[in-house]
Amino acid sequence: MDGISLSLWLLRLLFLLFLYLFLLAVVRVLVRDLRAASREPEAELGRLQVVASPGGEPRAGTVLALDAITTLGRDVNNTIVVDDQFASSDHAVLTFRGRTWYVEDLESTNGTYVNGTPVDGVSPLGYGDELQIGQVRLRLDRARR
Amino acid sequence: MSAAARPMRGRAGTPDARAGVLGVIRPRTRWREFWLLVLVGITLTIGSVSLNATVVAADAEQGAALPAGALAPYRGGLLLVYLGALLAAHLAQVLAGRRSDQVLLPAVGMLGGISLLLMSRLPQDLAGQFGGLARTQLIWLLIAVALTAVVAVVVRSDRWLRLYKYTWAAAGVGLLLLTFVAGREVNGQRLTLDIGPLSGQPSELLKVILVVFLAGYLSENRALLVEQSTRVGPIRLPPLPYLAPMAAMWAIALGVVVVQRDLGAALLFFAVFLVLLYIATARWSYVVIGLVLFLAGSWLMYNLFGHVKDRVDIWIDPFADPRVAGYQIVQALYAFGRGGILGTGLGNGLPVVAGRLPIPLIHADFPLAALGEELGLIGILAILGLYLVVIERGLRIAASAADDFRALLAAGLSLVVGVQAFIIAAGNLKLVPLTGITLPFVSYGGSSLVANAIVVGLLLALSDRGVEPPPPPQRTAGRFRRLIDRGAA
Amino acid sequence: MGRSVRIGRGQRRPIGESVTRVGVALSLAFGALAASAGYWQVVESAPLTASADNPAVVAAARSVVRGPIEDRSGVWLASSRRDGTGDPYRVYRDPVMSPVIGYASRQYGTAGLERALDAELVGLRRPDPVSDMLKKFEAEPADPQALQLTISLELQRAAVRALGDRRGAVVILQPRTGDVLALASNPVYDANGLAKPETAEDVFRRLREDPAEPLLPRATQGRYVPGSVFKIVTALAALDSGAVRPDTVFPGQREAERDGLVVSGFRIREHGGVPVQDLELAPATEVSSNIYYAMAGLAAGAEALVAVAERLGFNAPLPFVLPTAPSQVTNGGGPLPGGFKDDVELANAAYGQAETLATPLQMALVAATVANDGVLMEPRLVASMTGRDGTRTNQPREWRRVVSEETAAAVKAAMREAVEGELGRRFTTGADIPGVETAGKSGTAELGGRGEPHSWFIGFAPVDDPQVAIAVLVERGGRGAEAAAPIGGRMMEAALAELAGG
Repeated sequence: MDGISLSLWLLRLLFLLFLYLFLLAVVRVLVRDLRAASREPEAELGRLQVVASPGGEPRAGTVLALDAITTLGRDVNNTIVVDDQFASSDHAVLTFRGRTWYVEDLESTNGTYVNGTPVDGVSPLGYGDELQIGQVRLRLDRARR
Repeated sequence: MSAAARPMRGRAGTPDARAGVLGVIRPRTRWREFWLLVLVGITLTIGSVSLNATVVAADAEQGAALPAGALAPYRGGLLLVYLGALLAAHLAQVLAGRRSDQVLLPAVGMLGGISLLLMSRLPQDLAGQFGGLARTQLIWLLIAVALTAVVAVVVRSDRWLRLYKYTWAAAGVGLLLLTFVAGREVNGQRLTLDIGPLSGQPSELLKVILVVFLAGYLSENRALLVEQSTRVGPIRLPPLPYLAPMAAMWAIALGVVVVQRDLGAALLFFAVFLVLLYIATARWSYVVIGLVLFLAGSWLMYNLFGHVKDRVDIWIDPFADPRVAGYQIVQALYAFGRGGILGTGLGNGLPVVAGRLPIPLIHADFPLAALGEELGLIGILAILGLYLVVIERGLRIAASAADDFRALLAAGLSLVVGVQAFIIAAGNLKLVPLTGITLPFVSYGGSSLVANAIVVGLLLALSDRGVEPPPPPQRTAGRFRRLIDRGAA
Repeated sequence: MGRSVRIGRGQRRPIGESVTRVGVALSLAFGALAASAGYWQVVESAPLTASADNPAVVAAARSVVRGPIEDRSGVWLASSRRDGTGDPYRVYRDPVMSPVIGYASRQYGTAGLERALDAELVGLRRPDPVSDMLKKFEAEPADPQALQLTISLELQRAAVRALGDRRGAVVILQPRTGDVLALASNPVYDANGLAKPETAEDVFRRLREDPAEPLLPRATQGRYVPGSVFKIVTALAALDSGAVRPDTVFPGQREAERDGLVVSGFRIREHGGVPVQDLELAPATEVSSNIYYAMAGLAAGAEALVAVAERLGFNAPLPFVLPTAPSQVTNGGGPLPGGFKDDVELANAAYGQAETLATPLQMALVAATVANDGVLMEPRLVASMTGRDGTRTNQPREWRRVVSEETAAAVKAAMREAVEGELGRRFTTGADIPGVETAGKSGTAELGGRGEPHSWFIGFAPVDDPQVAIAVLVERGGRGAEAAAPIGGRMMEAALAELAGG
């Protein structure tokens, strides 16, 4: 094997080596991200506890984790299905924005109430506040850490 | 209503709320991306030097040492411009201060750089209207990098994608019909559209539009698709009315095969659709029904259309007619075989017989075979690894997305890249019948690079969770149902 | 936490779960890509790189001087010269070698051994896999190999001469080693015309249009109805399955010889010249009784017949350096084992009619198996290859045991009767070698319609210590005894003389 082909092969192998160095660096980042993600398991934003539910669905006492957007109503497409005869199919939507929860009534027939007060349009919702949809009452709780 | 609630933007909310959301833009360092890009630069430079040394040594007399000037990058100007563009894209994101993903750009940039090396190594007169293959590819790469950066920086809301999904769908179908009617046939496939001086392949853009529409449709109807069933005798089937889009997709895919003779795009569309449907519903029955439809369609196509049958027959035994029908795939396999484990080295493969390359469409349809020969199995594994990295990042963005629409959109976008790479790579490797779609980021061609740049840009934008929370879902269908509910009550 | 809290959110599962599954599926798909890349680039790399169509081989073939080819005693058969511009081209010694060596043409590619061992002759592949892998690190990677064949040019010439102006093939093997002494096919062609760039075009067109098909290597790729020589396969199957013993006499045979044998309503008639009497295996072989063999085939059954035939090499390409056409017992597709349509086809196939087809090389292997006491050797054409780093010899290799020694002995005795017996002589006139005990079987393959039948002979000699086995086919040569058998006798005699002399 002469000098030329030796140096050519060194260069070629060096290129392949660096391709793998790059992959290795990338994989290290990926693994680090995955570890970080597993250390904080599913950042929960808040939860609703069902206080009273005469209709039975959702059952009283159930704890429901909340997404950044949680819709409530009788329709199955809602995040939380409220099977109550006084609930509209698309009744209300809860959204988490910045550090606060907001509730918006989606023009439901019987209205949405926060601590007994009807919601007009969008209203902020504090932890411990009680939300009423139809006959179902739910309490907003802080996420457990 | 308090001022703080305004950005909530209920249905009656004002669109100007967005101005407050943006706030002050502060630069934010992205060191991971930076160092990865540096590594990309070093790697590509070494590859370029290796290519140059091979070319110089081939012309030189036999001797003990490389001639002077061998240890310079091959056509270094092109590479320098490309690396500069990557750096500019990085800086743009730094200045925009977004917290988007830092791995996607280097990974995709590496693939693009490998493409640039390959294109500058191939004969320059293969294609290209701007002074040769490599220069044309570089121009498209620059446009692609710019587009990625612009989309990644500018897109701060997905509202325009989310709200107008039917508009997007209509645009997609329109584009498809336009290609059906006005498309130009190239190599027996009718998928090139000329608009003025520009020509492109709309199916590349179509795949992005398709994913946007599907993400919108599926996120809206997710619960219904999951929970309702149609009973046919003892079997529980998914709700039949909601399968209409599946049938429509199937019909579109078949149409693409029949009219455009574009097996690859049809396969891609249908596969992405099925997988997205599965992601949205986690129901295997959809996948099974989809596969049955796929098999039925394939059988129909195989028996009705000569070009489909030809493709499949060639796939089953390309060596039956290695000089005519099976020529391309057989030549691709030869190229893989010649590469072996370590490859021949950049610039040292692809033997030219009587002034012709072994594979005529190597820059568009068989870049993987060329890389397989020159970089060997080791190089192929690295390239497959790069695609897996892109897919992993996309799917992670999907998994941690704030809501269903974003999740499905991110998943769909990464699937488009992953499945397309798989289909063409598998075609090159005789794992599935060969189809004429491009290898994302690597194949020569503007449409493909532009479409995939949009995909990466959107993924980068979606990966930034800090800027704007998703708006409450719009429920046009819901409102309609509410009317019925009221009527019933 | 997490899971239990989610009760009541409908059965909607978080999207992350199915995304993870899709990720796993895609990873598996890419794993499949990696595996198939590994398959083509590692497992299949050597054969792909060596393929004659590979542009690397084609490119090398234009500039590299191909390795020379010699016969068993060192006589050159193919070598290379350079033309005016310094590019090499091939020259061939004798047209009789054309069915074996083929040609290497700049315009028309390669054929025969020049094609099968193209990579070795051009020097892109070496017999030794390790040095083959390291070769890319060497300055001069091409290492053309010189081939030594097992063929004797003299015997090959004699065989072509014996065939004269008739189309056909002669295959001579050494049964103990599988060595191919002659692999002749007639007509032959002059490969020099193809190798020379100036004349290649004319010659190629002329050869392609020639109705005698000189480009077809009949010995390895011509498939012919075997007729009665196939009875040897039936005999092996019937004895080996235990359905028939050497002294078995079928009841009702005498009547069948006279009136024909009725199988499923179809009447099989005897050819002339068979005495109306009960026959055992040896006499039945001696007089070549179709009725006896039809009954033996039915007794053995389709399964046993196909099994023994497949062990002999039927239904698949042979393990041979040159490409071979697969021989067959039946077209297949029928309900019986092996694909026979019905008993009528089976009975007809048992004496080599119906849909049976065989290459001359295949029938030579049948004779060699009987001669070698039931053990089949792989046919060996290339004795050794010599390159820069020395010579590698292809050792003779046993392919497999086809039938038991006793079965082979019984068939051997029957084939001896067919040549040496009083009645047998009439069917194999000229096959016996003066002073040497010879065994054999002639065949007359009826082709339906008018025209002369194919004339066959297979045999071996000497009976007690077989040195040569042979298959002779003369297309449209008439009855076996008339055309093929005398050639068989003469060629075996010549081969024995050649072996004794060399």
